[in-house]
Amino acid sequence: MTDIGPSRIWARRVSFAALVLLVIFFNLLPLQTLPRSWAGPDLLMAFAFAWVVRRPEFVPPLLLGGLFLLADLLLQRPPGLWALLMLLACERLRGQSRSLRDATLTTEFLGVGSMIILVSLGYRFFLALFMLDLPPLGLALSQLGMTLVFYPLTVFLTHALLGVRKATPGDYDSKGQAL
Amino acid sequence: MAKDRSNGMDYTAPLRRLIVTVLVLVLAATFLIWRIDSPRVERFRAQVTDQIVPNFDWAMAPVTGTINLLRDLQSYRQLAEQNQELRRELRKMQAWKEAALQLEQENARLLDLNNVRLDPRLTYITGVVLADSGSPFRQSVLLNVGARDGLVEGWATMDGLGLVGRISGVAQNTARVLLVTDASSRVPAFIQPSGQKAMVAGDNSAAPPIDFLESPDLVRPGDRVVTSGDGGVFPAGLLIGQVAASPDGRLRVRLAADYERLEFLRVLRHYGTPPVSDTTGVLTPEGPRLLVQEDATSD
Repeated sequence: MTDIGPSRIWARRVSFAALVLLVIFFNLLPLQTLPRSWAGPDLLMAFAFAWVVRRPEFVPPLLLGGLFLLADLLLQRPPGLWALLMLLACERLRGQSRSLRDATLTTEFLGVGSMIILVSLGYRFFLALFMLDLPPLGLALSQLGMTLVFYPLTVFLTHALLGVRKATPGDYDSKGQAL
Repeated sequence: MAKDRSNGMDYTAPLRRLIVTVLVLVLAATFLIWRIDSPRVERFRAQVTDQIVPNFDWAMAPVTGTINLLRDLQSYRQLAEQNQELRRELRKMQAWKEAALQLEQENARLLDLNNVRLDPRLTYITGVVLADSGSPFRQSVLLNVGARDGLVEGWATMDGLGLVGRISGVAQNTARVLLVTDASSRVPAFIQPSGQKAMVAGDNSAAPPIDFLESPDLVRPGDRVVTSGDGGVFPAGLLIGQVAASPDGRLRVRLAADYERLEFLRVLRHYGTPPVSDTTGVLTPEGPRLLVQEDATSD
């Protein structure tokens, strides 16, 4: 039985923000200035989904929106669009988190995977709609595939190292109510 | 207990829905404003970057250094091979060095004879690369020099050898360099020795293709590609690279700058090439008509 007080929730929120900043930091390191033909996984997306599915109360919408907008600004994307789609996807998963709580990793992967694909498709759709340059298809597809492949790994990291687990019947929130 | 929970839900759910709605509206508005008035939002982006990225600098330098060191360790395995190769290259280079020295002396003598003064305004500021664009879809780097050092958007940026890109986005302490390889980069160029004008158009690959070439037959792989100075953004005559033919038959530029490791970049101060607006005044001070009259009177 683990009691989650407000201070612990806030500590977890801060640690999520730190995690996002760390991912951005490693993205920004000037290690590879030669253009690549493949793209790495979007770890920001994977971590956000993994946390939302596990413990929605650790990642409130305001925190998610702010961090995604910051990522948009720092990573040279059209500001707002990716953040908007990610926020909507996270809210959708938040709504499903009660049913996903009892699901196996495969079911969760299907739910989250379809969300990852939807966000990527929606991003391309809106870029095309607003007549912006579309990112190269090969790069976008490789990023999508890598994110899907890396999702179980981020789940493992979230679960084992960061200790963010799905709520179990024995958990209570700060007011002593069952989650 | 179940009743309590539903009460709790009733109390937080509408609030959360309101926050999400407001956030969605704010994000959509940000995107629309960026689409309509991109320069202003880009300036805002540059300022945000300027506030945040230099704070990471203390950690970025050692982490980058360590990762590069580990990468180098991998290449130490082929050390003997590399050593041989370098020796061979060095021998070749010594011959070139001799030739270069002789040419330099000759050049100096000729410049002296002509009493040439090189343009003092074409000086440079050197900056260190702080960060890259952070995503594989964009090719740019962030320099640690900015408006404080008098940087202006559009100035050409080079490493020791060739053109790297141009300044796009200046904040107080940082400036972003849009690399020649970025998909939105276009550089007017000039191919020596045939003198063809062309456009080096970045496409997110290591060797940008050459566009708008008048007669590709006159261009051979190995020809030098230099900036033409058209459009007034870049000074003319900066080396971009060499022409290379890709397997699909397209002509591309093998860039002279070492894109593997961009560490120190030079930003060239350039105050624009003055446009020739008085076309007639180029011939004689009062224009060509006078010339014609003089011809008539002398006859």
